[in-house]
Amino acid sequence: MKTTILFIYLILVLAINANAQIYATKNGSIKFFSDAPLEKIEANNRQVNAALNAGTGDFVFRVLIKSFEFEKALMQEHFNENYLESDKFPSSTFVGKVTNIKDIDLLKDGINEVSIEGKMTIHGITKVIREKGTFEVRQGKVSGKSTFGILLSDYNVAIPNTVGNKISKTIEITVDVFLEKVNN
Amino acid sequence: MKIWIIILIGVVIIGIIGTVCAYFFVYNKPHPDYEKAEAAYTLPAQELYSAFITNKTDAEKKFNGQVVSIDGTLKKMEIIDSLVIAVFVYNQGVFGDEGIRCTMLPKFNASAKTLQPSRIIKIKGLCTGFNDTDVILEKCSILNQ
Repeated sequence: MKTTILFIYLILVLAINANAQIYATKNGSIKFFSDAPLEKIEANNRQVNAALNAGTGDFVFRVLIKSFEFEKALMQEHFNENYLESDKFPSSTFVGKVTNIKDIDLLKDGINEVSIEGKMTIHGITKVIREKGTFEVRQGKVSGKSTFGILLSDYNVAIPNTVGNKISKTIEITVDVFLEKVNN
Repeated sequence: MKIWIIILIGVVIIGIIGTVCAYFFVYNKPHPDYEKAEAAYTLPAQELYSAFITNKTDAEKKFNGQVVSIDGTLKKMEIIDSLVIAVFVYNQGVFGDEGIRCTMLPKFNASAKTLQPSRIIKIKGLCTGFNDTDVILEKCSILNQ
């Protein structure tokens, strides 16, 4: 509930700014990858809702947990029912900022290094994260990418000992969003 | 002595059959066939959207993870990489249209691309939730081509 309120608040902040240049997508991608001794597991989610205020650097995204797709149906079932408990925690969010937005010209084609800081909420637990990524600007559109690791235990995701060799304790997350200017 | 050997062989055979069944029907079980699955709920698209707007928590408990069949007036089709998405619009938000977004099963991509706006269509798919702007249906099939 708190993250929903914060997410909606950020959306409103993005909108209220009179000169807001909002870039957004409704079909960004988040992939996660687990590399464990006995198994490599990958899942993809292509329903990521993301928005950027180019003036302030405010950046938010929300992803529905049940939209993650796995190759193995059983793993998808365990992911939803046991690990991320998607009935209790239907979505994950990031609410934060591109801290060096003033150094980036979104009107000029090129690849820019970005620093992102904010609150990541997974499985009902919120942590501050600081990560790096890139914004590639092409003809007024922004392709944002970032790859980083998260420790499952930081978000109270418990992996049973019986599958300890099949799921890594640290998961690699890759965010890939193609942001276009929203016509207001 | 012989009877024990027969019993032992029987147990080993049962064990092998059980392991093979576990591998194919449990560990390697297929994903649900959402095209053939029966809808748990059938309702107008606007009613589904309103349910989430009015009471998100109750709507999540009811619809999340369920196969839902909806009918309504199609606003537009979107094609994003390999995704073909049917869009029903019931609100205008900060980021533009808000409503229900239905991502097609690949089998229905070609026929979905020919759907014209303003047409009344019936779609069935897996409801994965509401992301504060849209209700998301995935693995969708068109019921009234």
